[in-house]
Amino acid sequence: MKSPRFALALACALSALAVIAPAQQNKRDLVVWGISFGPDTKGSEAVVREFSRRHPDVNVRVLSMGAGNMNPQKLMTSIVGNVAPDVINQDRFSISDWASRGAFMPLDDLIAKDQAKDPLCPRQDQYYKAVWTEASWKNHVYGIPTGADNRILYYNKKIFRENADALRAAGLDPDRPPRTWSELLKYGKILTPPLENGQFTRVGFMPNFGNVWLYMYAFQNNASFMSPDGRNCTMDTPEAEQALEFIVKGYDQIGGYEKAKQFESGFLSKENDSFILGKVAMKIDGDWILNDLSRYGPSLEIGVGPAPVPDDRYYHRGKFANEPEQFITWVGGYCYSIPKGARNVQDAWEYIKFATSTEGRMIENTAQKEWEQLRGRSFIPRQQGSMEANEALFKAFKPADPKFAAALRQHIDLMPFGRIRPVTFVGQTLWSNHVKAMETACYHKASPKEALIAAQLVVQRDLDAFFDREQHPIINLAIPLWAGIGTAIVALLVCAVLFLRKKMGRLERSEAWWAYVFISPWTLGFLILTLGPMLASLFFSFTQYDVLNEARWVGFKNFQDLFGADKINVTKSLGNAVYLAGLTVPLTLAVGLAIALLLNQATRGMRFYRTFFYMPAIVPGVASAVLWLWVLTADPNKGLINAGWQQTITNWLGLSPPGWVNSADWSKSALVVMSMWGAGSGMILWLAGLKGISSTLYEAASIDGANPRQTFWSITFPQLSPIIFFNAVMGFIGAMQEFDRVYIMKPSGDGPVGPDDSMLTSNFLLFNNGFQFFKMGYASAIAWLIFGIILVLTFTQFKLAPRWVHYETDK
Amino acid sequence: MTTSNVIFAIGTLLSWVAWAAGARAVWVLLHMALNAVGYDTRRGMTSLLSAGVTSGACFAITALIPMHAQTKAAPGFRAPLVWFVMPYTAWLGTACFVMALYRIIQGLLAITSEERIGKLKTSGSWVLALLAFVALYKGDSGSKIEIITGGIWLTAPICAAILFFAMAGMAAMVIAGRASTTRGYAKTIITQAALLAGSIVFGLPFAFLVITSFKEDRDMSSPNGIVWIPKVQDTVPYFDKKHPIYEANFQGQTVNGTIILTNPDGTVKIDVTKPLAIRGSTFNAQKSALKEIPKEVPIVSGKTDGVAFEGKIVEEMGDGHRRVAFTKPESLVGKEQIFAPAEVEPVRHVGLKWSNYSEALSFLPPETKSGLVYLKNTLILVVMSVIGTIFSSSIVAYAFSRMRFPGRDPLFAVLLSTMMLPGAVTLLPQFLIFRQLNWIDSLYPLWVPAFFASAFNVFLLRQFFKGIPMELEDAAKIDGCSYLKTFWSVMLPQIKPALAVIAVWTFMGAWNNFMGPLIYVNSPENMPLSYALQLFQGDRGGEPGLLMAFATMCMIPVLAVFFFAQRYFIEGVTLSGLGGR
Repeated sequence: MKSPRFALALACALSALAVIAPAQQNKRDLVVWGISFGPDTKGSEAVVREFSRRHPDVNVRVLSMGAGNMNPQKLMTSIVGNVAPDVINQDRFSISDWASRGAFMPLDDLIAKDQAKDPLCPRQDQYYKAVWTEASWKNHVYGIPTGADNRILYYNKKIFRENADALRAAGLDPDRPPRTWSELLKYGKILTPPLENGQFTRVGFMPNFGNVWLYMYAFQNNASFMSPDGRNCTMDTPEAEQALEFIVKGYDQIGGYEKAKQFESGFLSKENDSFILGKVAMKIDGDWILNDLSRYGPSLEIGVGPAPVPDDRYYHRGKFANEPEQFITWVGGYCYSIPKGARNVQDAWEYIKFATSTEGRMIENTAQKEWEQLRGRSFIPRQQGSMEANEALFKAFKPADPKFAAALRQHIDLMPFGRIRPVTFVGQTLWSNHVKAMETACYHKASPKEALIAAQLVVQRDLDAFFDREQHPIINLAIPLWAGIGTAIVALLVCAVLFLRKKMGRLERSEAWWAYVFISPWTLGFLILTLGPMLASLFFSFTQYDVLNEARWVGFKNFQDLFGADKINVTKSLGNAVYLAGLTVPLTLAVGLAIALLLNQATRGMRFYRTFFYMPAIVPGVASAVLWLWVLTADPNKGLINAGWQQTITNWLGLSPPGWVNSADWSKSALVVMSMWGAGSGMILWLAGLKGISSTLYEAASIDGANPRQTFWSITFPQLSPIIFFNAVMGFIGAMQEFDRVYIMKPSGDGPVGPDDSMLTSNFLLFNNGFQFFKMGYASAIAWLIFGIILVLTFTQFKLAPRWVHYETDK
Repeated sequence: MTTSNVIFAIGTLLSWVAWAAGARAVWVLLHMALNAVGYDTRRGMTSLLSAGVTSGACFAITALIPMHAQTKAAPGFRAPLVWFVMPYTAWLGTACFVMALYRIIQGLLAITSEERIGKLKTSGSWVLALLAFVALYKGDSGSKIEIITGGIWLTAPICAAILFFAMAGMAAMVIAGRASTTRGYAKTIITQAALLAGSIVFGLPFAFLVITSFKEDRDMSSPNGIVWIPKVQDTVPYFDKKHPIYEANFQGQTVNGTIILTNPDGTVKIDVTKPLAIRGSTFNAQKSALKEIPKEVPIVSGKTDGVAFEGKIVEEMGDGHRRVAFTKPESLVGKEQIFAPAEVEPVRHVGLKWSNYSEALSFLPPETKSGLVYLKNTLILVVMSVIGTIFSSSIVAYAFSRMRFPGRDPLFAVLLSTMMLPGAVTLLPQFLIFRQLNWIDSLYPLWVPAFFASAFNVFLLRQFFKGIPMELEDAAKIDGCSYLKTFWSVMLPQIKPALAVIAVWTFMGAWNNFMGPLIYVNSPENMPLSYALQLFQGDRGGEPGLLMAFATMCMIPVLAVFFFAQRYFIEGVTLSGLGGR
């Protein structure tokens, strides 16, 4: 330990640390999260640079958390942990969610203060009404909108022209796009040629191709999704139902949703986009496709029009008789917000003002355009939430090609008719359940009405939980805390008194005193880091507590939710853990034992082989997950395993390579295969056990004429059984708590963990609830569920052990 | 239709028989080779012969039977192979069926009625399991069984590979069954073959990692399988007239950049292209302060008017075309021509793309100083964790093993029971504690707990302290050593190997800690390597060259420690007493 070599290494390491210690800076830090900074984001960089130039005493630090995606868990953890960033670029529809939890700062005061004197200060009247509303919650502004995107109809004029006769025969005009839902369906049907060999050669129109979802059609039909007071989810309305029926009809008339999805998955982006290749005649999409269209399909004859609306709306009939708006679209986008607890609010506000101002937007787009031109690429600006900025950008960067200019103009002109997703704190749940309802209906697993009702129930449960909160009594957490600390102190005092009154010799007493001092690191650690937290977590499991707001006592509700409201996730996570443990533990044991038996032979090079087999086990977990993500890549041209698969199994058996982490059926197998690679750690245990088996046993066996199989099962296996037992217990506990690898290997995004939640483990469920939403109470209930299951499993294993585990002392 | 079904059924059966008999033949062969003593050679020869003949005959027949196979014309003899694609419920159900049948037959053949009842009872439970799987199979509407007829075209390399892996696998099984120490030439060869095959399988991902980190992007994907030999593009220096590159001084460092604008006052606006960390910054400079430097342009080859040429790409056009200045042959030198991308081939030589490593580092945020800050954080974490664990665990273990005090045994029982406690239970409240201490976004929550002794290490060290003879300690006490002094100078040196094992394991644990940084650390300057690698994967996941280079760099220190302290890693298990005895 204290050999000179070690000391030298330590000295080197420490001196290296001193050299690279960060230099002191006198600037004020401004931490900005969520702007993507990459090779092609010249525009955002220019804004930051210009701001730094104007504010030389501010040091802007942009942190993009993985490809510019904001990681909601990191944001929430940092807000709760009092180390929040100063500015955050956030998807607007989630603003109300954050604001309702008290995680963001209202900006009204800042706006009011600067309104009169600062020309950069955002003014509400500059912004489209819907866009501004989306970034507000309960009449307070929580974000300043930046980009805005709405959806319009794109169509391929060439396909329309080629099918002009057929269209005319059906009474349709080939020179203009469809305007109403029924026209859209008719055009779509005619422009979809019959299948060839069961495959599409082209598709006229797919309702949810592009970026549409049920939301847009429902908005067009005046569906609201939420009651005006925000108390109830109203997904199941005739309006939404009609919209969903339209989507289902759209898919059914071309051969079904599954067929359409297959067709979609056959294409990629950029030059291999199905619309650019002329394989899709019409789609409804946002303005973000314009740049790719102009780069990869400059000669494509595109036409645009407003997204078609229900017939009654277009002709101002029926329930739309009194509505002036003929067309309706859906608008979304981003905004800048200041999280609660930001340390540099003043500079944050300055930055937001600058970045959202028309001037800031111009700087961004100018720089981006310069960059694109330098690389010989065209540039079309994106839409903004501010009318003034939108017009200025259109004027300055109007595309030279009239068809793209027309498309951009169409987008801008429709902005005032954009509707937003409901402003509610359950926005995320509403979104994912509306998608689920749409898919269920499209697959005909339920009627549109049934699907909507099912989705509505899930959302309503979240709403009820929030509003019922008020019923539960507030508890002051200081009371249990001080009660706990008090009890601990009293208990310690009692122990001390008992100790002092105990009759002991002087030496004995001094030895005991020293012993107590010596074990104090553990005692303290146990009280503060183990016992205290355990009791706290038990206490939390009966409360509703998100750290930012006061705690409420809910009794057994969290545990009821485990087996009730959240049953799907809980059973899924437990099922996955059992699946993983059930496959991984025996397989790793077997592979480890096989290698150990081989290595236990007396041949040359054992040290070398032992090192080789053990090496994977010491590779850092993150590094090996990153490596295996590539080894397991589904594309047989890239992934090591699938390349091998393609050349053997596909060749021999005709089974195509699996999708591994991208497929719900294979993602767990991917983890199992990866575990096999690390079987070396078990191998070492086996080896140690094998070396410990007395050779006299084998000699006795060979004298008795035992064959190899008998020898293995009667001597080797029983002698090794304690190791098997130890490994089985530890392996099970480990699999229950699988986290790191899943976090790294799951396809990115904060939706399901792995396809169809197939990689959701119990620990992951706890992490998501605990650190993404800070549902401390519910997460603690999950923790205790995990604890309980591990206890039961371990206990059972210990009970079963005497039946097969052989301990030498038994005799 | 019926005929073809019958033919198909016969073919299926025969193909499986062929493979089974083939496997049996190899098995018998190995037995004969390995069991030089006490094996009935004549019996072995008979079974080898029968298995070999059966296998060969079945293969021959099945190869001739016209089955609707995945016929892809390939040279060589087709050894047919029929396979079922079934959901796991069907596989397990089939296994249960076979087991039930096996037990029933055993029961019918049993001599005593007691044995018969026992066997039949077991078969009953297999039947129950079978019913359960059938129910599961029926319950899932997605279940279906697919029959796939394929075959292996027995070309020479495939035969060799199959033989190699079959022998390795069989050897592993035979040796597993024997575990005695028979010597023999054949055995050595077979064991070595098995070990080599295993090493290849275990080493392939490593090889993939290292080789990928040296590959160019174009080699990342290939329809002919993985590219194992990295190649790099040949380049030549070239002074670009149209888009010259200049070397300039900006904020105290030498940068490369291009001129994007000439200002009215005669200065020029420079767009920085290198170093990558400040790529995209612009600044104004005097033209006289600039120095033109050559670009490294790629060399390509191709054919123009039937003449093979080599040339350098002097311009990448906006539409993907390239302008090429010829360098070979002599007759074309000095001329230029525009080619479509498909018309020219890059000229490349076998080599390593080292720049993946430097590029990976240059993409890290500038405040991390090319990743050195990550390394620093990891080192702090590792050093502090190791120091903390060693001192706290050893002193606690010493007290528990060598000192007497009231409540020792109950306290030790509590300590042992905390080993079973999953980290999940204490995770959230611990976060709140560290939050209260304002330790979020710092490294403290990650190493401070190490100073509070972990149960497992205490348990392990206690075993060691118990093994040290009492006399040593008594002698120290008689010499008047205090308890602390006895612990420090007499006892601690005695358990150095155990401390080394703990140090090595703690090192690994701290180096690999991922969930901790994920929860507690936000700013790049506080991140350790493990978390930085995950973020890097999120940012640059599409560029395997850079990603693998960074992963390799994160791995190297651990592997280095492993090679120097291998003894403690591997023998530590034996020392710890986990080896069973």
